Amino acid sequence: MKELLITLLGKPFGIVIFQLLEATQFTIYLSLIAFAGGGLIGLTITLIRITPSRRNKAIASSYIWFFQSVPLLMLLFLLGLGVPRLLGLDINPWIAAGVALTLYASAYLSDVWRGAVEAVPAGQWEGGKALGLGFLQIVSLVIVPQAFRISLAPTVGFMVQIIKGSSLAYIIGFHDLMTVGKRWANAPVNGTEPFIVFPIMALIYFCLCFPLSVWSRRLERKLGGISERKPPEAA
Amino acid sequence: MELRFFEIYRNGDYLWLLAEGAGLSALLAVGGGLVGFLLAALLAACRFGKLPVLQHFAAGYVEFIRNTPLIVQLFFVAFGLPLLLGYRWPFWAHGLLALTLNFSAYFAEILRAGFANVPIGQIEAATALGIRRSLVFRKIIFPQAVAAMYPSLNSQFIFLFLTTGILAEIGVTDLTSAGLFIDSRTFRSFEVFITLTGLYILMALSFKAALNALNHRLFRWQTAK
Repeated sequence: MKELLITLLGKPFGIVIFQLLEATQFTIYLSLIAFAGGGLIGLTITLIRITPSRRNKAIASSYIWFFQSVPLLMLLFLLGLGVPRLLGLDINPWIAAGVALTLYASAYLSDVWRGAVEAVPAGQWEGGKALGLGFLQIVSLVIVPQAFRISLAPTVGFMVQIIKGSSLAYIIGFHDLMTVGKRWANAPVNGTEPFIVFPIMALIYFCLCFPLSVWSRRLERKLGGISERKPPEAA
Repeated sequence: MELRFFEIYRNGDYLWLLAEGAGLSALLAVGGGLVGFLLAALLAACRFGKLPVLQHFAAGYVEFIRNTPLIVQLFFVAFGLPLLLGYRWPFWAHGLLALTLNFSAYFAEILRAGFANVPIGQIEAATALGIRRSLVFRKIIFPQAVAAMYPSLNSQFIFLFLTTGILAEIGVTDLTSAGLFIDSRTFRSFEVFITLTGLYILMALSFKAALNALNHRLFRWQTAK
């Protein structure tokens, strides 16, 4: 792969492209970790949010509000620099970045899923109750199958924001596409000037994100969105 | 493990630094928001217009910005463009340009949805009255789309504001960079970033309140109906 790129593009360009693509895998891994972790916690928060208990609702809403209001950059700094200094221990960048992005993703995903659950007509809840089903039964048998369809488009759309968000992880020493690209842009090598390397990096990110955006839009057209007012996107 | 916030709060220099940084952060976000909004209106007009070249350009621009991270755009604007075109600006100007370009794409996407929802009868009526196409856009479609999309634009702006801390990476002396400086002096990282987080949330809430107040002033004609 490396040799092929070098013969095709020459030195140093082939090496740059190879290293960028190689580092892209870590961007993808981190995004997947954040999506899986955020999905798991997000699901829990959504469940807490839709229970009839008012206290549970307040707890879940505060969680969502808080982690949507904290800038992702601050989450990264807190987990990558703040907590390690406070506790006097080393935290692996994978863990710090993974946890920060997981918390970030969990708040957004649970907000999206809450919207999807609320979009299911109230009659469905009442129908379930009338049939004598319990809360968990109504949720799993009646609500989730319907909410799942509605939430698919915004969930896929949010993956774009996780990938974009993962670009900030380099700030706490996570090794990914950003780290490698920045290093080349700073290197005094001809052909790796910032105006060449950064557009290439943008293109790589675009190739990761754009298909997901298109897929999300297709799903929305097919299955319908949650509401006319979409949740805001993060850059 | 011991929390020592006083090391930050009892130092007048640090507090002043934080205030200055917060001021610059707010200023750049508002500047980027305003100019970005104008650019977004222009982009939306291009998409609404009849020239296919402009339509495609606007659509492509919006897609490209929305599908790439702000930090890469910022580095390109701050380090790539000046080297390529041979100009020198202060750090904050690079930051402002990057924010403007970034914000405009997100706003344009929201405005586009707003345009799609302006009742077609309004446009037909205006055309029937012989009003020019550009005037129809400016006086009839645009105000209604903005009024309908105002809440979305607001929350989008606040979300974008929360991403501006990244400007510290190119040397802009904003709130985050003030925090990083204090961190490098005191090594109280946890306390510093908790403080920054609180300040960012406080600023976001202030923006929200201000934008809501503006809502009542700007769109009184709409609530009257």
